[in-house]
Amino acid sequence: MSKVGWRKGALVAAVLATVVAVAAMAVGSSVAAPSASGPIKIGTSLSLSGDFSDPGKAVKRGYLLWAAYVNAHGGILGRKVQLKIVDDASSPDQVVTNYRNLITRDKVDLVFGPFSSLLTGPAATVANRYHYAMLGPAGGGPKVFALKLPNYFFVQPAPVIKCGDSFVNYVSSLPAAKRPKTASYASLDDPFASPIADRMQSKFQAKGVKTLYKTIYPSETTDLTPIVEKAIAKKPDMIVAGTQSEDAYSQVKALIQAGYNPKFLFFANGANSPTEFPDKVGRKNVNGIFSCSDWTPTAPTNGNKLFVSQYVKRYGGTGFDIDNNSAEAWAVGQLLQIVAKKTGTIDNQTIIKTLHKGTWPTIEGNLSWDASGSPNGNDLLVEWVKGRLVPVFPKSVAIAKPFSPKPAWGH
Amino acid sequence: MPFVFGAAWQMNLFFFTVMYAALASAWNIVGGYSGYISLGHAAFFGVGAYAVAITFNHVGIGGGYRPFYVLPLVGIGVGAASVPIAWVAYRTRAATFAIVTVTLLFVVQQLAFNLRSLTSGSQGLSLPVPSFPVSTYEHPFYYAMLGVLALSALASWYVRGSRLGLMLFAIRDDEDRARGLGVQTTFAKVSSFALSVGLVAMAGGIWAYYISFIYPQFAIDPLVTIGMVLMVYLGGKGTIWGPILGAFILVPAQQYLAYRLGASQLYLVGYSAIFLVVMLFLPRGILPSISDRLRHLKARRRPERTEGAVSDEPVERVAVS
Amino acid sequence: MHLFVQAVILGLLTGGVYALMASGLALAFGVMRVINVAQGALIILGAYLSYSLYQHIGLDPFIALVLLTPAMFGLGVVLQLAFLRPLPDEEREELSLLVTWALALGIEGLLSVAYQTTYRSTITSYADRSWILAGYHISVARGFAFIASIVLLVLLFAILRLTKLGRALRATVQNPTAARLLGVNTRTVSALGFGLSVATASAAGAAYGIVFPFNPGSHYDLISRLLTIIVLGGLGSLGGAVAAALLMGVAESVFATEISPTWSSFTFFIVLIAVLVVRPQGLFGARVRGAI
Repeated sequence: MSKVGWRKGALVAAVLATVVAVAAMAVGSSVAAPSASGPIKIGTSLSLSGDFSDPGKAVKRGYLLWAAYVNAHGGILGRKVQLKIVDDASSPDQVVTNYRNLITRDKVDLVFGPFSSLLTGPAATVANRYHYAMLGPAGGGPKVFALKLPNYFFVQPAPVIKCGDSFVNYVSSLPAAKRPKTASYASLDDPFASPIADRMQSKFQAKGVKTLYKTIYPSETTDLTPIVEKAIAKKPDMIVAGTQSEDAYSQVKALIQAGYNPKFLFFANGANSPTEFPDKVGRKNVNGIFSCSDWTPTAPTNGNKLFVSQYVKRYGGTGFDIDNNSAEAWAVGQLLQIVAKKTGTIDNQTIIKTLHKGTWPTIEGNLSWDASGSPNGNDLLVEWVKGRLVPVFPKSVAIAKPFSPKPAWGH
Repeated sequence: MPFVFGAAWQMNLFFFTVMYAALASAWNIVGGYSGYISLGHAAFFGVGAYAVAITFNHVGIGGGYRPFYVLPLVGIGVGAASVPIAWVAYRTRAATFAIVTVTLLFVVQQLAFNLRSLTSGSQGLSLPVPSFPVSTYEHPFYYAMLGVLALSALASWYVRGSRLGLMLFAIRDDEDRARGLGVQTTFAKVSSFALSVGLVAMAGGIWAYYISFIYPQFAIDPLVTIGMVLMVYLGGKGTIWGPILGAFILVPAQQYLAYRLGASQLYLVGYSAIFLVVMLFLPRGILPSISDRLRHLKARRRPERTEGAVSDEPVERVAVS
Repeated sequence: MHLFVQAVILGLLTGGVYALMASGLALAFGVMRVINVAQGALIILGAYLSYSLYQHIGLDPFIALVLLTPAMFGLGVVLQLAFLRPLPDEEREELSLLVTWALALGIEGLLSVAYQTTYRSTITSYADRSWILAGYHISVARGFAFIASIVLLVLLFAILRLTKLGRALRATVQNPTAARLLGVNTRTVSALGFGLSVATASAAGAAYGIVFPFNPGSHYDLISRLLTIIVLGGLGSLGGAVAAALLMGVAESVFATEISPTWSSFTFFIVLIAVLVVRPQGLFGARVRGAI
């Protein structure tokens, strides 16, 4: 490089160093220290923009509702709760940045998990390095538990993969003549969705249900017609779909357009949304469709009535309009309250040790976890009955009996 | 720098800044020197990331510092593998080339989703988390990425002054004429591409290890390409320090904006606005605009001096030997 | 066999809509040497606008077209004047790529703020119904979308063949300098041509929104397909774009049904690579110095 080049290079290097220094200081202008008194700072990264923004916002509503309630009723161990919620734009790069910032810069006392298994894996790994407990509202895919992190707790009754177990149990309990003999499986390539259908398929096959067609379609597939056409080509008795929301709606529409009505129809997600589903597929088309859920407004679980009334008071609507994600958020806060009260401290190590033992009563039911943070229970089986989504199994929370076969479309 | 600022969150910021600086610098070798706008570089970033992740999941080398030793192999491997792809892509010019590289991006992303037995598809791949001490956990990653940046800048400088660089500049000016004069354009284009993507792949490999969990849609992300390109244009296309300057401005800015503006999709609008402003008002980028200004001032202050002051742009006409 | 023919029918229906979308892209490139990467985002914008009109006034999307098309035409002209005209001639192709990509991101961002990222769909009363034709079913929504696309394509071709603007556009595509010598105001023509191209996007968007669910991020999928289509057809060739769109629509559908849905979007790319190795200028394009 010529002499001018070197001088320019030196100038640029100086500029670079200054730029970064200023940036680092500007971004870090709120350095704080943890304290044993004053408000309890809880940090969490949520997907408030990007692909997961709708459920992310529902989670935020749940947290805000919980924090307001707790602070109005004595706080935790006499201290008020202060939430610091940052947006990760549904991106893993941002989520690890956020938790590093929350833990080492903002020095929060506790952290709650982000939305989605995709983000929970990297986030929980960061938290674990600093020995912070992580209570997660929504990160229950198998890959998260494969990390075997001691600090992580998925605050739901069952790991996501077991979503379909209750449906399998229900179908197997029917008399032989009424059971399905053949099935097609169409799932979304997604950390949640396809493992559920895969697990159900192996269970059904073990019980003698023949698989006519199995496929996993890519996540950006908007046109499910060709896939549905193939799934129904050999006229299966039952269709099991490992879905998220959009593709569930598309599958239903494709089935209606093809004029095919299976005797049993199960969707991992999408059909468990009390207001979206009938909106998207038509209220007259929903009856008889099964799905799984971790929470319903009518379940007689600890504090559920309180949660529902608080939510409706603050956000309006009815209990049936509440997004599950808000309930999951409340359950996380509720769990923290209970364990803090029991142990008398919010120390992370104590929380981690204590939660690994026993069962803990939350609005999501009585929860307990194994060493990797995977919960030990089972999800609810829900079905659309007379236009409403209701829990039908297990009996302790059911408000209607499950029925089959599925009525014709439009009935 | 780690001895001045030490906290994890600061190291994190430096890590991403240095990473994008390395990426922008590498992209510049193709986009800046030869004038071929490659919009698919992020694909190779992802390939590097997956190469490291797959090695650790399927070959089981173990964690700790080993992933860093694998990096040069990844760089060379990806560079070599890109040769046939580059050869096909370079059968087209200008706009078609850009489209082909964008297509390549989506193809690689699809492959990452679909080759489930290798990549676990949408489930993602996890990498073993090394047991570096907590207080200096980020340091090895940061140093490794700094190494790739140094390599990138060095390659950028070396190519510029070499025969390959002259060939690339000739292609940028007028490819047909260069061909007519006997310049081996295909060789120049393909080798610059291989060098560029090899560097990008190494950065991807370190990134994968840092995040410890990769997914197809994030490892192969069009926004990564856009980031690289934007930084090069902002700092000055075709210069050595320009891309680096662009990264050092934009990455901290983006982190700051995410912190302040957080919960809205405005960061996309922000990216878009910055890009448009740069394209329309500062098309040559910051550094060349500054050096133009300086040259102007110098020429005005010494009217008796003739134009044609020393610049560090190499001679633009190709003298073919 | 039944499944195969059904797939071909489905493919043609989808291909028709792609053809309308791609024709806009081909026109923009032919007239102005501009690769409009924002075409996908503009289509989605059209989809959202027709969705909103349907939600709030109950206006059927195919009727809303009449309102939207002129509005989007105007938008196209404004975009061209603001962002594309200032670009220097020599680097226009590459820079337009980047500028329009930035525009696409900006549109995506604004749409996300306005509509959130939930998937939407314009669900009209006929959305669920299907016609049965010789044992094959054709969904009403797709059928209408196809018919609308063909009608608009015919209209576009008519404009290009029969009107003064059309002749000026074609002259500019063939040889801008000669056109200018003959008195064509290429600057005005470029702006109007771009406006026309964006107008096709809005129409295609309205049709698209009835058949497929969409959100602001859907434009990536669309634009990657469209870019492949016009490269396949030959940059700047309208007829090529239409042919390529129909071909790819059928290929993708048949592949999904007969072989595997997972790899169906791959058909696009494989065909593209194959064509590029053999014939880099595409099926109907011309090998012009520096333009390919």
